[in-house]
Amino acid sequence: MLHEIPVDRYGAVGRRMARAVEACVHCGFCLAACPTYRVLGEEMDSPRGRIFLMKEVLEGHLEPQEAAPFVDRCLGCFGCVTACPSGVAYGELLTPYREYASAKVSRSWPDRLLRWLTMETLPYPGRLRAALRLARLVRPAAPYLPARLRAMVSLVPDRLSRQRGTASTVAPAGARRARVAVLVGCVQRVLHPEIHEATVRVLARNGVEVVVPDDQGCCGALAMHVGEGARARQLARRNLSAFPDDVDAVITDAAGCGSAMKEYGFLFAGQPEEEQARKLAARVRDVSEFLDGLGIEAPPPLLAPARAVYQDACHLLHAQGVRDAPRRLLGTVGNLEVVEPAEAELCCGSAGTYSLEHPDVAAELGRRKARGLLAADPDVVVTGNVGCMVQIRAHLRAAGRPVPVLHTVQVLDLAYRGQGFPRLA
Amino acid sequence: MRTGAVLRPSDVDSLREAVRQQPRVWPRGAGTKTALAPPEGAVVVEVSQLRGVLDYDPAEFTFTALAGTPVREVEELLGRHGQYLPFDPPLSAAGATLGGTLASGLSGPGRYRYGGVRDFVLGVRFVDGRGELVRAGGKVVKNAAGFDLAKLMAGSLGRLGVVVELSFKVFPAPRARASLRVDRPGFEAAWGLLRALYTSSFDLEAVDLVPPGTVWVRVAGRPESLPTRVQRLRAFLQGGEVVEGDSGIWEEVREFRWVPSGWTLVKVPVTPRRVLDLERELLPTASLRRYSAGGNVAWVAWPEEPAALSDLLERLDLRGLRVLGPPGLPFLGRVDSDGFSSRVKQALDPVGRFGPYP
Amino acid sequence: MTEAVDRARVLQGLRALYPEGRILTRPAELAAYESDALTAFRARPLAVVLPETREEVVATVRWCHRHGVPFVARGSGTSLSGGSLPVPEGIVIALNRLNRILRLDPEERIAVVEPGVVNLDVSRAAAPFGLYYAPDPSSQPVCTIGGNVAFNSGGAHCLKYGMTSNHVLALEVVLADGEVVRFGGESLEGVGPDLVGLFVGSEGLFGIALEVTLRLVPKPEAYRTVLAAYRSLEAAGDAVAQVVASGLLPGAVEIMDRLSIEAAEAAVHAGYPEDAAALLLVELEGEEPEVEAELVELLEVVRASGAYEVRLARDEADRQRIWKGRKGAFSAVGRLSPDYLVQDGVVPRTRLGIALAEIERLSRKYGLRVANVFHAGDGNLHPLILYDGRQPGQLQRAEELAGEILRLCIRLGGSITGEHGVGMEKRQYLAEMFSEQDLEVMRRLRRAMDPGEIANRGKMFPVPQQLEAAAAS
Ligand SMILES: Cc1cc2nc3c(=O)[nH]c(=O)nc-3n(C[C@H](O)[C@H](O)[C@H](O)COP(=O)(O)OP(=O)(O)OC[C@H]3O[C@@H](n4cnc5c(N)ncnc54)[C@H](O)[C@@H]3O)c2cc1C
Ligand code: SF4
Ligand code: SF4
Repeated sequence: MLHEIPVDRYGAVGRRMARAVEACVHCGFCLAACPTYRVLGEEMDSPRGRIFLMKEVLEGHLEPQEAAPFVDRCLGCFGCVTACPSGVAYGELLTPYREYASAKVSRSWPDRLLRWLTMETLPYPGRLRAALRLARLVRPAAPYLPARLRAMVSLVPDRLSRQRGTASTVAPAGARRARVAVLVGCVQRVLHPEIHEATVRVLARNGVEVVVPDDQGCCGALAMHVGEGARARQLARRNLSAFPDDVDAVITDAAGCGSAMKEYGFLFAGQPEEEQARKLAARVRDVSEFLDGLGIEAPPPLLAPARAVYQDACHLLHAQGVRDAPRRLLGTVGNLEVVEPAEAELCCGSAGTYSLEHPDVAAELGRRKARGLLAADPDVVVTGNVGCMVQIRAHLRAAGRPVPVLHTVQVLDLAYRGQGFPRLA
Repeated sequence: MRTGAVLRPSDVDSLREAVRQQPRVWPRGAGTKTALAPPEGAVVVEVSQLRGVLDYDPAEFTFTALAGTPVREVEELLGRHGQYLPFDPPLSAAGATLGGTLASGLSGPGRYRYGGVRDFVLGVRFVDGRGELVRAGGKVVKNAAGFDLAKLMAGSLGRLGVVVELSFKVFPAPRARASLRVDRPGFEAAWGLLRALYTSSFDLEAVDLVPPGTVWVRVAGRPESLPTRVQRLRAFLQGGEVVEGDSGIWEEVREFRWVPSGWTLVKVPVTPRRVLDLERELLPTASLRRYSAGGNVAWVAWPEEPAALSDLLERLDLRGLRVLGPPGLPFLGRVDSDGFSSRVKQALDPVGRFGPYP
Repeated sequence: MTEAVDRARVLQGLRALYPEGRILTRPAELAAYESDALTAFRARPLAVVLPETREEVVATVRWCHRHGVPFVARGSGTSLSGGSLPVPEGIVIALNRLNRILRLDPEERIAVVEPGVVNLDVSRAAAPFGLYYAPDPSSQPVCTIGGNVAFNSGGAHCLKYGMTSNHVLALEVVLADGEVVRFGGESLEGVGPDLVGLFVGSEGLFGIALEVTLRLVPKPEAYRTVLAAYRSLEAAGDAVAQVVASGLLPGAVEIMDRLSIEAAEAAVHAGYPEDAAALLLVELEGEEPEVEAELVELLEVVRASGAYEVRLARDEADRQRIWKGRKGAFSAVGRLSPDYLVQDGVVPRTRLGIALAEIERLSRKYGLRVANVFHAGDGNLHPLILYDGRQPGQLQRAEELAGEILRLCIRLGGSITGEHGVGMEKRQYLAEMFSEQDLEVMRRLRRAMDPGEIANRGKMFPVPQQLEAAAAS
């Protein structure tokens, strides 16, 4: 698409943003893949519309404030990237655009409060723990809270797992086939440490030595997605030095974190750390991608036949292009039938802090997702990202069929350990 | 000029002249659709002199011909190059012309597979109600430029203009054919079979149901695969007597030879499911019926003036077109009056030269 | 209509019809609707409304008629001819929320849908019953039935069973002056003039389709998909004539040239032979034994036509990939060039080779690259003229080249558009295909439905200056 973006004005990312706009031919192929378009049915809330609006803003023809509601509503699920035949690197436009526009857009105080609350707590496990305890106290007042805060409080778990220690190195079972470092991240470590534990066990079981670097922290994805580039870099910088060079891969088991880390090079474009960031990014692998590449020992078959429906996590499928690996891994589990849900390519509405900021759209997507998954009549729902797991679980429960929701590595782990799936709650 | 007069213009200009001069004009081809007669006070303009194929390149699978060209002539020409008009234009042995076939909107049993006359016409030239020569559509198999007036002429009964030239697409003729006759103990069983075939993935050329309980099926294709296909079809039908080749049975259908002379033949569009309702109503009458195109059209032969048939169709919310037999108003049954067709009429024939829309 | 429509008055009137949120007037909201898939044209409407019921559409059209405000119906905005380009003094009626499949009757093989239903969603809904909706524009995952009806859209698989027009049985329409009419029926046959045939392809100039009854067809039992690689585009073009002449009736016959192969391969990794100058894609469909027998002959014809590599789709997944590459090819060409114009001319099938050679010559003459990916079996060319709008004069050169290609099609006895419609883009060329007399009749029809010319004003018909230009040329 033709544009008049003054590229140089936008620094190191200017050219990349312009290139994404140029590559877009306005064909609309991405419309069907866009969750917000599917729910809202209006052009501004489609990838094509957003690209056009961002172009207009970057050209100086539209106020950032005018475009804000629509760019904000983007889930960052990258369904449009998979769907686009023209190879538009939507993320390379969206992420820097959000950073550029965030300074120019004024937001209402509840919006700002919410942003502040999430950004100051989620990336920091200690603060998050404290905040969750606090939130449990306000839960009885939930019905009186504004919709967004209510959404936030509703996601607070009933029980908070005790803080568990993580070993800094785990030895492989048998001969060492590889050595990896693992990201434990932030939110997941607090809310669902069991996923990470399963990752470590499954890796070790397959001859992988696992290192868990001590000083690592939040990958910066949440900040990146809402346009807080500076904060994202601040968080990521810590990881640049925390992760060692002498590993075969840096493993993530949360798809959102994986895709963010794979983009570190871009995040630091034009900054002194760019080279270092690029190197780390090149080593990042999703756990399913890594295990599939390595080849795993087939687990013993399940005791009773079960049907799993595999739901792609957007940041695994669309952002990282990992589609077949988790399916192949699940395929190694005997007695497990793996089926595809309707609308598999559509986001469940979780998308980082999205469900907190846009509860209406997120809830509608969650309902659709639950419907699609349940139509496959599964015994278990499998996916590759903690955020999706939380969202899907909530909506399965709301639909009255709380089928267990597990991470791909958890399924492998249960199989290796000869255990069945958790009972329906 | 008096009522009942017939003009036979020898070229398009004189045809335009005729349309301009007469207050009421009624175009006619060979007059094979005997029930379609000129409205009161109209001068008949017969296009029989405007005949001949203007353009036919077999490699192109299209042809252009004047409206008065007999269909049979075209079919013979096509046949020499292994091509055909797949919709079995009716009454071609009786002398039907291309223009009349389009204007009456009639197709034979073969329309089941690839569509009817409206699906094969590509372009037309016609003289409108002001005597102007108008061209629409094109000569190539695909064309989206301008309004599709060629399709509009399908079924227009000469009320919108006098078609003088038509372009059609044609298909390669199948190299082999086989027909199957399946008898079922009663109408409902045969009807069930018809509907099962309708949603099956068999590629059938024609599927007709003849009361009380016979289903006729025609398959066409390559000689080497035909036996297997017939065998699979027979397995599906649980029987069926094979009638090799095109042994005249379909010709009889196309020519409506099963309709007793002097009877009125009415075309009634219907849907497969509603065939049963219609048959139930018609069974006690003296009519003869043939449900064609997989149950999408009922051909009803009626021994006398079809007023009772018209009432019956109206009760069933169906509409019919008189085709053969004594002349009368063309439409029977439900009266359709929509603002769309009256506006079309107004635009193409503002002074009502071709008579009011019946 | 008066000189300047009082914008405030228009907005006030529409606000009485639509709740907050379903009438869009803010700059960002309007900007998003400025173009369809032909971005060379842009126009900002006064407002965009998002009706959710047919009653709302009817009320809007009536309001527009009463106040002389032009409107443009819009589906997914994938028109390649500027068909859904807004009118600056008018409004856009976006039909995307009218996207319900109202009735699916598998036994009658019928689907009754609202106009905003996406083409592919009809086939998805019909799939459990072994049925599908046959016309398959490459844009089928996004384009709407309403848009398909307006343009009589086609696709790769229209060779045997026809275009949209051959698959629409009945319509409910609100004419531009507000009258609601229904015509057609559920039967494949009808009596009386073919009004459905007239409406389909009328480019939205008569009014807005509110409800469309579609014919569904049983899925073929078997497919055989053949890919043949050629050393020259002309050779592939000539091969089409040979396939057609052989008496085979494939479901699809498509050609892609080197540029489009490169682009599509980059997009979907379909496994096309990348060194080919042209690729011929032929698909047979039908009963298993028949298709098997046809394949033998097809392979003979294709080999004899000079193909240096011939391969068959291995399985359904492979077949899907091959088609995904073909159907994404237009958009994929965006990888090769910042801008392009897609043309849609038709030539007689025996003239394909000539037409392609001539296009190659023109491409050299104008110094602009042209990618070809098209429905060869129908003679329906799709030259994509690549240009860079930032280079001064390039767009103009591209438009001139496009014009020469269209004239070439007319000269060869074809048409200026096979399926994308005339829209804004090809208005002037309509006058080269039809006489003033022919156009006048079409205008009269239009005015009979739309006396104020408020539906899609400015589309399809040449504007007066263009008529003069056409007469002079
Ligand atoms: C990449 C790509 C590939 C394509 N491939 C093909 C192809 O293979 N074959 C093909 O034929 N086309 C193709 N097209 C063109 C386009 O997709 C079709 O013209 C399609 O039918 C447009 O549908 P839409 O919903 O996007 O309509 P829009 O672009 O929104 O509108 C098209 C026209 O229809 C009118 N309209 C919309 N809805 C209605 C209604 N309810 N009633 C009356 N008028 C209405 C509009 O006013 C406009 O004039 C392609 C386009 C793209 C971008
Ligand atoms: S599919 Fe790609 S090129 Fe087409 S509109 Fe969407 S982003 Fe642009
Ligand atoms: S990232 Fe997701 S929500 Fe955002 S535009 Fe793309 S598909 Fe839509």
